[in-house]
Amino acid sequence: MIRLFALLLLASAGIGSASAQGLKLPADLVKASLVAEPGAIRAGEPFTIGIRMVIRPHWHVYWRNPGDSGLPPEMAWSLPQGFSAGPIEWPTPSRIPVSHLLNFGFENEVVLLTQVTPSADLAPGRPVTLSGKLSYLVCERECVPGSADLKLSVPVAPEGSSAAPNPQNRALFASARDRLPTPSPWPSRLTRDGERLVVNLDAPGLKPDAINNAAFFPYAETAIEHAAEQRLSVDETGLRLSLSRSTYDDKVPTELPGVLTFDEVTPEGAQSRSYALGQAPPIQPAASVTAEATPVPAPQAAEPDLTLWSAAGLAFLGGIILNLMPCVFPVLSIKVLSLVRHSGEPPARVRLHGLAYTLGVLAMFLGLASVLIALKGAGAAIGWGYQLQSPLVVASLAYLLFAMGLSLSGVFHLGGGVAGIGDGLTRKPGLQGSFFTGVLATVVATPCTAPFMGSTVGFALTQPAGVALIVFASLGLGLALPFLVLTTWPAAVRRLPRPGAWMDTLKGAFAFPLYATVAWLIWVLAQQVGSTGLLAALVGLVLVGFAAWTWDKAQHAAPVGSIVGRGVAVAALVALAVLTVGLDRDRAEANVTMAAGSEAFTQNRLDTLLAQGKPVFVNMTAAWCITCQINERTALRTDAVQTALKTRGVTYLKGDWTNQNPEITRLLEQHGRNGVPLYLLYAGGKAPVVLPQILTQGAVLAALDTLPASERSAALKATPKR
Amino acid sequence: MLLRTSLTFAFATALLTLPIAAHAAGPQIDKSAPTFSATDADGKTVSLGDYRGKTVVLEWTNHDCPFVKKMYGGQAMQGLQKKWTEAGVVWLTVISSAPGEQGAVSPQDANRLTQERGASPSSVLLDTAGTIGKAYDARTTPQMFVITGEGTLVYQGAIDDKPTANLDDLKTAKNYVDAALTEVAASKAVSVKTSKPYGCSIKYAS
Repeated sequence: MIRLFALLLLASAGIGSASAQGLKLPADLVKASLVAEPGAIRAGEPFTIGIRMVIRPHWHVYWRNPGDSGLPPEMAWSLPQGFSAGPIEWPTPSRIPVSHLLNFGFENEVVLLTQVTPSADLAPGRPVTLSGKLSYLVCERECVPGSADLKLSVPVAPEGSSAAPNPQNRALFASARDRLPTPSPWPSRLTRDGERLVVNLDAPGLKPDAINNAAFFPYAETAIEHAAEQRLSVDETGLRLSLSRSTYDDKVPTELPGVLTFDEVTPEGAQSRSYALGQAPPIQPAASVTAEATPVPAPQAAEPDLTLWSAAGLAFLGGIILNLMPCVFPVLSIKVLSLVRHSGEPPARVRLHGLAYTLGVLAMFLGLASVLIALKGAGAAIGWGYQLQSPLVVASLAYLLFAMGLSLSGVFHLGGGVAGIGDGLTRKPGLQGSFFTGVLATVVATPCTAPFMGSTVGFALTQPAGVALIVFASLGLGLALPFLVLTTWPAAVRRLPRPGAWMDTLKGAFAFPLYATVAWLIWVLAQQVGSTGLLAALVGLVLVGFAAWTWDKAQHAAPVGSIVGRGVAVAALVALAVLTVGLDRDRAEANVTMAAGSEAFTQNRLDTLLAQGKPVFVNMTAAWCITCQINERTALRTDAVQTALKTRGVTYLKGDWTNQNPEITRLLEQHGRNGVPLYLLYAGGKAPVVLPQILTQGAVLAALDTLPASERSAALKATPKR
Repeated sequence: MLLRTSLTFAFATALLTLPIAAHAAGPQIDKSAPTFSATDADGKTVSLGDYRGKTVVLEWTNHDCPFVKKMYGGQAMQGLQKKWTEAGVVWLTVISSAPGEQGAVSPQDANRLTQERGASPSSVLLDTAGTIGKAYDARTTPQMFVITGEGTLVYQGAIDDKPTANLDDLKTAKNYVDAALTEVAASKAVSVKTSKPYGCSIKYAS
């Protein structure tokens, strides 16, 4: 039981990190959040809010003047009526060299402070929500544009009380303020020295040999050569920093506001100084502030009649069908078998088991959906089935199903009983046994949900979170329904055959659909990792088998042998975990196996073809999508279809979504989908025809028949008729 | 002996740093554009001197840079290339990414990208050593230069006035290169001669 739970954790941990593995998604590179300084706010009383960005090591975001390249972050606030937000107070940046160029920005973490003034007639009691869209560019050597919808609920202080700072955030705000430049205690001037500009700080108190590492950061973006050497000289009259004037600006500036930093050796040790010289001009928003950083056209639902309730209905039906999937059916059957055993229990108790199971299913589905919604909200370009885009998750699922198969085959037993894992759960007298069967059923069902539930789940994910959760809940209810029915009407249970020896035979037989699913998962994995990774995964299977066998031996051994056996089994599992984590480092390059007559999909290629007025057939597929594979075999790769494509001059573009591909995700979203398969037929400059998810050769041919017979007739059409 | 070694060292250092120091100033507007000679994706040698009498556009690119993707994804760059090469302008797309860096491509891939994107540059120059890039002090992709038939640099800087990677901004952007080329074609003085180039930094060899 504990081990099973650990395996489940392993699987769900893999799901959580699916997008973090080897992929450069803005949400993985920058974790953005809002932090308010006071614990509660008051009407008309300004307070400080921090936009906190935690940045992946070696990556950086930009200062208001980004230097030779880059873009500063921008915040588009959506505040309640009567609220207003001030400009960002920019902390002192760092010099970040890239080759011979130089950027000004922030690494690791930055908090951008902003003053917010609440409306004067803010009623106490109800909390208010402050939200906004943060757009940013994050770069290492490569650059990734990102955006995040940030939200923060702030309590409103009751009348008479003061808006005291929230002690939890004190350190954060203190360090953010420490990083702000302070007004210079000395006057400053700008002078010219040929083609150089000299920043003069009239600071007679500075000791020449105590000042080093001086740097000047101008607010103006084209005033100086950012990467050029800045020459420091200090004497008894003050500090001078000579800068190379930029060739971008014809005009020689008469003043140069900016931030001057230097280190000063004092008796107390080295101190970093940062002074704001002159007035900072307001920053011009670079662009349409409200627009998204990565343009995603408004989803045009492929099925416009797919309303919330029909989507929920479809999801419910889909859930029921899931019960028959090769990955789910064995688990469910074992559960039903255990019911047979329960049939001696009072009906009320059996009903409780049914409810616990349903709860388990719902909890896991809603959990998965929340992770997905959260990732999407953070700007990740992912869709349903995303779990299977991580080799970690695919391998973990393969191990889990293999272990369950082994237990059904009788290789090992839990708790010394006659039953295996699935039964081990249900034998648990407590209701949590039923709850975890629900969780387990959902986990093992995920490989099947992605391919079969594409359009409903796709619809759900383009909707607000609440709607999405309703659809996912319906899917879960559908999955739970057969079992719920059986438990609610105990009469139905009594109809089931009496327990007997046939149960062991059935269990043994049920192991094989599980092994088949394992074989399929390993095949999927083979598309995702290199040959070393594949070997690691296969060795992993051996380790699962070894752990199962030693565990079983330990159960029946004398106390000492038992401890040794269990130790060896645990060691095998640890080795398995290490091996699995290593899998991800051996990611295969996107190796779409292109059948003859097809080309790899890129948005560019599609745009080019469409611009040339050529008809295009787009097939979005993934190795782990069974429907896709079946469709290809039976309806797309057939001679009749291939010939029809050729004679009509249709270019066949194939997009592989086995691994993450934001371009494909975007196209899926444009058609209201969040998963594969998706089949599109573009012709005649019109919106593409969306073909059904389950294809037949006839349907494809019928769609192709609507096209003109050849380019020749297209050319004829183009000639003006007289 | 020691003196001689250190003198040699100093001389070598000076030799190495001198050209960089000379280039740091970059090309001057309304002065002669730096000459160059490079191999294009078809293996031909291309020199600026070959194009005397023709207006030349230099476009620095890196196909994986989000800002470049905006220009090509929105068909803006292709449109500009088509419009002006048809009008007799020579359009040289320059890739200064060092081998292994983002945007570095083989000659075959460069031609494939041109075809896939429906681009129509006159040539794609593979400046793997960054020589042309540094001669022009090119910093970002996409960064643009316009050189007249007399070899005078009349525009350097950004492609347009919307320094974002957002496709929607193409609609409202003022394209500096289009404006400069229109003015050159009409034998007028270029009104906006410089702007701050925006985008990804060019991935020169570090």
